[in-house]
Amino acid sequence: MKLKVVLAIIVCKALRLVSRLLHRGGTAMPGRYALKICPQLLSVLAKNVKTVVITGTNGKTTCSRMVEEAFARDGKRFFSNRSGANLISGITTEFVINSTLNGKNRCDYAVIECDEAASVRVFAQMQPSVIVVTNLFRDQLDRFGDLAHTRDSIKTAIKSVPTATLCLNADCSLTSSLADEVPNKVLYFGMNKGAAPSKGKSEISDGGICVRCGHEYRYEYINFGHLGGFYCPECGHSRPEADFAVVDIAQQSTEGSSIVMDMQGERRMVSVNLPAMYNIYNAAAACAAVCAAGMSKDTAVQALSGFKCGFGRMEQFDIGAGARMMLVKNPTGCNLVMEFLGNVKERFSLVISLNDRTGDGKDISWIWDTDFEQLAALSGRIKNLIVSGDRAEEMRLRLKYAGFDENALVIERDCEKLVDRMAEEDCPVFIMPTYSAMLDIRQAIVKRCGGSDFWE
Amino acid sequence: MELKICHLYGDVLNLYGDRGNIITMKKRLEWRGIDCTVEKINPAQSASIAGFDLIFIGGGMEFDTRLIADDLRADRAAELKAAVEDGVSLLAICSGYQLLGSYCQDDKGVKTPMAGLVDMYTVCGSERMTGNYKFALGEKSGGFEVVGFENHQGKTWLASGLEPLGKVICGHGNNGEDGGEGLRYKNLFGTYSYGPILPKNAKLCDYILLTALERKYGLRELQALDDTAENEAFTAINARLG
Repeated sequence: MKLKVVLAIIVCKALRLVSRLLHRGGTAMPGRYALKICPQLLSVLAKNVKTVVITGTNGKTTCSRMVEEAFARDGKRFFSNRSGANLISGITTEFVINSTLNGKNRCDYAVIECDEAASVRVFAQMQPSVIVVTNLFRDQLDRFGDLAHTRDSIKTAIKSVPTATLCLNADCSLTSSLADEVPNKVLYFGMNKGAAPSKGKSEISDGGICVRCGHEYRYEYINFGHLGGFYCPECGHSRPEADFAVVDIAQQSTEGSSIVMDMQGERRMVSVNLPAMYNIYNAAAACAAVCAAGMSKDTAVQALSGFKCGFGRMEQFDIGAGARMMLVKNPTGCNLVMEFLGNVKERFSLVISLNDRTGDGKDISWIWDTDFEQLAALSGRIKNLIVSGDRAEEMRLRLKYAGFDENALVIERDCEKLVDRMAEEDCPVFIMPTYSAMLDIRQAIVKRCGGSDFWE
Repeated sequence: MELKICHLYGDVLNLYGDRGNIITMKKRLEWRGIDCTVEKINPAQSASIAGFDLIFIGGGMEFDTRLIADDLRADRAAELKAAVEDGVSLLAICSGYQLLGSYCQDDKGVKTPMAGLVDMYTVCGSERMTGNYKFALGEKSGGFEVVGFENHQGKTWLASGLEPLGKVICGHGNNGEDGGEGLRYKNLFGTYSYGPILPKNAKLCDYILLTALERKYGLRELQALDDTAENEAFTAINARLG
């Protein structure tokens, strides 16, 4: 066993070194080979590391960055999988890189973003101390199967770690009910009634049916999607009270938000260094995680105003009159990005890039569940709308049916030419790419203007 | 002219892009000056489907589909069967399509009775059949090619005498074995092409709309539209499928 561990570590470190010499990321591949040599490698390497793991459909990366910032401010020795490689292979690579040849980790803590489908294997081996589930929405169906299946995976994963503290979204019926029938300690986060104006029930709802009895939920208020004050008139299942509750949104701008949060009975004014409603949820999740990991509420609050945004998540680039990249990958996330655009006061140009590679989901039907009609309502303020990506034609078709004039929609598939166009714009440019499209466009921007590679 | 569309179980069976089919039917009617109303009927709602010109049933999660099967058997099946026999247009997709058969058998061998509208059944296979695929519609259904995305584990078998909607050119279709895809019975169109099949298959959309308009108004032909964007979306994915 010991020999296998050492061999796996050596192979993993060597493959990583070669990858970097070849100017590649080497984020997942080395771990994949290491696991072939020693399938239980992660459990060996994670033994003496206190880990916060973050999973869920939307907000994993941003929430991870927020938690990392708290660890950094608190002076903790920690590492994380910042590259976004969040399957067991990528996570294992990260643990190997941070350990000695003997399998002893150099850090005391880790902040790990984990793919929902990978959670079963990862949690069982890693035995995290804190598990955050941000929310559950429909996502790459071709990869995950349906949402009930994803939820079952996470549930199975949680059952393998009864000692972990769970940080769950109170407002998401599919997420908060993960606490049912498990002995884990739970901290709920959420947004209370009155914090934001309640929305009507959206046309597509993922969590509308009672997880316990199958009847339709009613809602006291809805923040977005199926997130809100749900209750079942039939069996009485209802939203649990949140330990970390956003009680008021004092101010929202294109730079960030000021919110009032009730943190286990203490009211704090919190400024979140990223705009948009969904990042307020991420902030509440991060606060719960930071406190669950044993740090102070002050550290949590400071982290939220000081963290840098993640890779492609509201990331800013100094090109033309300024560009901002907002990753989109599923209907709810994309709707929230467009809601953010609706609050932008000035004229802007927009790039939407749709790919259907493995990292994006091969099935692109989600664009038809997404409310691009709300974007069409803004068309007077959109100077240029450029469509890109492997499935640009399908994206253009969606926009036509959303109400855009198809003749005003330009297709530009070449990323370098796309960046040329961005540089010529005299108004801000917003980029809405799917995952692999984000990597391509980002690389083209970095090539032109400089910036860090994706694994940094 | 006006078409009344019923989105049956729309709040529950709406998995992945089914909304695209509704949007497409509505827009393509409106662009031709034909009014269109869409009404959802959900499980346990007593509203009748009588009076609708076109019924749409989308795909759903397994958990939801079982709930629906109960409702469908309770009171809806006879009404739906009468409508189909009467020539009302019906488009059913993926698990909505499976619902129309006599039963579905899951991976543990458990059979759940379905609506029994047509003589077909579905058995859970060993592998998921996922990906872009292509099929050619039968002569009776226009004869042209359709591209879609399939994602199912159920294998559907039609009784002899029932005609598939088309023949698989690449991909799996009903069961990955007999080359058939979907079902065409009177004005019932069943398919595994889940999610937004109609937007980039504008010809199929118009074909289905016309069955309803012909039944209601005797209309034989639809006014042509500028389908450049639709056709380019079709061509792009069709080229990849070879």
